Amino acid sequence: MTLHTRARRTAAAAGLLLLAAAGLAGCGDDADGASGSDTTLRVSVFGNFGYEDLYKQFERDHPGVKIVETSEGDLGQYNTQLTQKIAAGSGAGDVVAIEEGQVVNFLQSADKFVNFQEHGSNDHKDQWLDWKYAQATTADGKDTIGLGTDVGGLAMCYRKDLFEQAGLPTDREQVAALWPTWDAFTQVGEQFQDAMGDDVHFIDSATNTYNSILMQTADETYFDHDNKLIIDSNPAVQNAWDTALAMSDAGISAKLKSFSNEWNAGFKNGAFATIACPAWMTSYIEEQAGDENAGKWDITTVPGGGGNWGGSFLAVPTVSKHQDLALELVDFLTSADGQMGAFEAVGNLPSNPTLYDTPALKDATNEYFSDAPIGQLFVAGASSLKPVYLGAKNQPVRDAVENAMRSAENGEKSSSEAWDTAVSDAEAAAG
Amino acid sequence: MATLTSTPATPAQRRRRARPGRGPRGEQVAGYAFISPFFLVFAVFGLFPLLFTFWVSLHDWSLLGDRSWSGLGNYSKLLGDDHFWNALRNTLGIFVLATVPQLLLSLVLAQLLNQRLRARTLWRMGVLLPNITSIAAVGIIFTLLFARDFGLVNWLLGHVGVEPIAWQQHRWSSWLAISVMVDWRWTGYNALIFLAALQAVPRELYDAASIDGAGPVQQFRHITVPMLRPTIVFVTLVATIGGMQLFTEPLLFNSGANAITGGTTRQFQTLTMYVYEQAFTGQEFGYASSVAWVMFIVIALIGALNALLLRRLRGVQ
Amino acid sequence: MTAHVELEPAPVVAVPATQTVEAPRVRRRLVSPTVVVLSFVTALSAFPLYFMVVMASRPNSDITSVPPPLTPGGELFTNLDRVLSNPDITFGKAVVNTVLVATVTTAAVVFFSCLAGFAFAKLRFVGRSPLLAFVLLTMMVPVQLGLIPLYMLMSKLHLSGTLPAVSLPFLVSGFGVFLMRQYVVQALPDELLEAARLDGASILKTFFYVVLPVLRPAAAVLALLTFMERWNDFLWPYLVLDLDHPTVQVALARLAGGYYTDQALVMAGTLLGVLPLLVVFILFGRQIVGGIMEGGLKS
Repeated sequence: MTLHTRARRTAAAAGLLLLAAAGLAGCGDDADGASGSDTTLRVSVFGNFGYEDLYKQFERDHPGVKIVETSEGDLGQYNTQLTQKIAAGSGAGDVVAIEEGQVVNFLQSADKFVNFQEHGSNDHKDQWLDWKYAQATTADGKDTIGLGTDVGGLAMCYRKDLFEQAGLPTDREQVAALWPTWDAFTQVGEQFQDAMGDDVHFIDSATNTYNSILMQTADETYFDHDNKLIIDSNPAVQNAWDTALAMSDAGISAKLKSFSNEWNAGFKNGAFATIACPAWMTSYIEEQAGDENAGKWDITTVPGGGGNWGGSFLAVPTVSKHQDLALELVDFLTSADGQMGAFEAVGNLPSNPTLYDTPALKDATNEYFSDAPIGQLFVAGASSLKPVYLGAKNQPVRDAVENAMRSAENGEKSSSEAWDTAVSDAEAAAG
Repeated sequence: MATLTSTPATPAQRRRRARPGRGPRGEQVAGYAFISPFFLVFAVFGLFPLLFTFWVSLHDWSLLGDRSWSGLGNYSKLLGDDHFWNALRNTLGIFVLATVPQLLLSLVLAQLLNQRLRARTLWRMGVLLPNITSIAAVGIIFTLLFARDFGLVNWLLGHVGVEPIAWQQHRWSSWLAISVMVDWRWTGYNALIFLAALQAVPRELYDAASIDGAGPVQQFRHITVPMLRPTIVFVTLVATIGGMQLFTEPLLFNSGANAITGGTTRQFQTLTMYVYEQAFTGQEFGYASSVAWVMFIVIALIGALNALLLRRLRGVQ
Repeated sequence: MTAHVELEPAPVVAVPATQTVEAPRVRRRLVSPTVVVLSFVTALSAFPLYFMVVMASRPNSDITSVPPPLTPGGELFTNLDRVLSNPDITFGKAVVNTVLVATVTTAAVVFFSCLAGFAFAKLRFVGRSPLLAFVLLTMMVPVQLGLIPLYMLMSKLHLSGTLPAVSLPFLVSGFGVFLMRQYVVQALPDELLEAARLDGASILKTFFYVVLPVLRPAAAVLALLTFMERWNDFLWPYLVLDLDHPTVQVALARLAGGYYTDQALVMAGTLLGVLPLLVVFILFGRQIVGGIMEGGLKS
């Protein structure tokens, strides 16, 4: 090959590639299908909202509408992405889920979301627990950015087979009677631990238990209603901290970090016998522990009465190109039927109090959990639910406290050192 | 301007350096035309975001809420921020822990690959294999290998009587595990770069040393390392740029909740992770931007130091 | 880490590395210590990838078992099929997108780097040195630094979510420019340019007919490195792409979605993500290695 032709080939190839580049730049917005009337609605959620069948129903009622859901497994990752997209003013879904801990945060930029009050949400706000509706409404009461989906009514999930091995009762009622209080719960844990040795532990981690205790005892946690940091002066935080770490000191914790590989493996391998269970946790356990553990789990009441941990809202970003449809979808998904459908699919407890008296919810059982009466269990907790106010900076503060607690649990720091760290990190995070 | 070539300048180049700038007009125009695509694209997609970030760093800028002018407030806050210093310490620590053994190993490996071998290309491909694996894959695989309860590493250590180590829990162990990930991916790659430089070292030198009775270790110390010095400095520079931006490996290593904080006591949170945490968990876009800028300055300083070093070395030669 | 390589081609006048056939005296020993050490290193290089295959070929419950499995199981194709048939992931589409993005950015990077590298090495214009220093500086800018402004910019251009948004910031590379400049200095003798000038060729013509052919070995290496880097890109694509335009790495990240991690599935996906590059590597490995090594000795 002569130099000349080779060069020409190279030049031709380079030219072709530049053409390709130009062509690529041209293939931007052809997302929506060819037939003009089709609309694609994007829904962004995290975890499992149990909406598949509801989407199908909505699509049946709205010919030409296609719903596409993206689900992000990691809540932290989801919040980061959503924040980036809301801040940049594009790229979020037509409907986005907002977790309880983040909703105050997004209230700061309420203008970025459609105000449901302008679309008549006040007329049927008895559809939600009062505080649930208020949580996604600005302080002046004029702007509601999200409508409630579920609440995280608390119960306690436990492994019957492990209880039996440890010589403890396995019946739900009897187990519930074992632990009217968290202190009693800790004593049961010590009994269990003495019987079982070191291969299995009573609870998965201090942090999970801590969050449950905290969310059931207080109407304020880290911030008061004026958004002032009160971590150091709030006895509820101190009490939850001491109670949870006492369990760790008693040696009944498997010390597994929530959502880590090891924690996930712990469900499968039976590394712990109990875990504090908000309603949404049941589907997680089922997926994580797998079919081989079906029937080994059961559910009973949580020590210290009910409580709420977690739960979500659906919102519509103002940049959505299909606002009317998106609003319709949110209305449908958060309606009594929608919430019930989600409960039947994955066990997420409705935030609609009128449903709590319906047989469909009250008599519901969960096959995987030895037919536990999840309706009764979670509703019992839900009726006594108290609203908990979470400040805008709840997430970073909670991260700081959880990290400090883990460092105490792992023996890297003493409890008091860890507490000091928690307070100073919380102050830094609260800014 | 330091030119990073290891070859001495040709007479033509030297003549040109003595008479800088000014080519004929056509050459001037062509020169600017040829470099313009790079500068245009960079101006829009590189420089603009960078300058905008600096602008943001002069504000109290909440990602979702209010923003107000704060001048250099973020920068003075940063100087008293323990978490920032901790992140800087981790970044530099992991960088040193990862880079020093990596460079030594790469050099030794290059020396070995420079022997007369059968199937030379296959060996070379073998050491380059890790480099085609995406960082995300590396993070996922190694995090499984280093798992506390069921990881292969702890299982192997168990055979020699070592208790299971919670790799994420201690500063030393987390640094070590992350360094292993980095080194696994980059050692072979750097070895090939050193090998290329080694090829330019005249064999006569080694032969002469052999005749003088120098063993392989002495040859390595007295011939290989000195001859490769410019390349070593350059590879260090590149490793610095990468090392200061370490993000994905430590993030994936901390599987589960609060991954971005790099461990319970932030024992392996790097600067980039801290930037990310401040911006997206803490919503402090302004403050995060100032951390990012300081990070950029640190990288530039180390880069300048490298360039200076290189110059000095070239002068010595 | 970003992939960077400093190509140090042997100077044009260097004695080429001896290509002699193995000297017979090497057969003295069956296995030389060098080969033993290299075998060990190669095994270390390959093991994590092998481990990935093992994990991808097992049911999910095996992954966390003790002792860890070290031999492949029989679930490989089941797991791969679960990835490929997962409607949320559209893996095939992701591969096409990634090839498209990686190819276009690679072509652009190589072409623009050759242009600028040649200019910085051989053309005299005012401000050449400071501009080159600036190019070096651009290598030091962390991607994360401008993530949000860049995202806002893409929104303003109405590109967010699309493939151009992923490609545009990577059409040029300071590293590429610098690499090519180094290479031109070492591999392109002034005499060639002089000859072209005497023939009356314009600078553009000279570039296409004289310079580019000489640059091919280095361009090939740059192309392969760039391609791999873009293939493995994660942070920016994950932020900017939407559902309709996933790349391989983004699709794989979605595998971990749905609240609970199916490690076997993630591993199978990871394997699928590495596989195409592995194929490229096996096909072109000789060229990659050769390119890094041989420099401009081939004529």
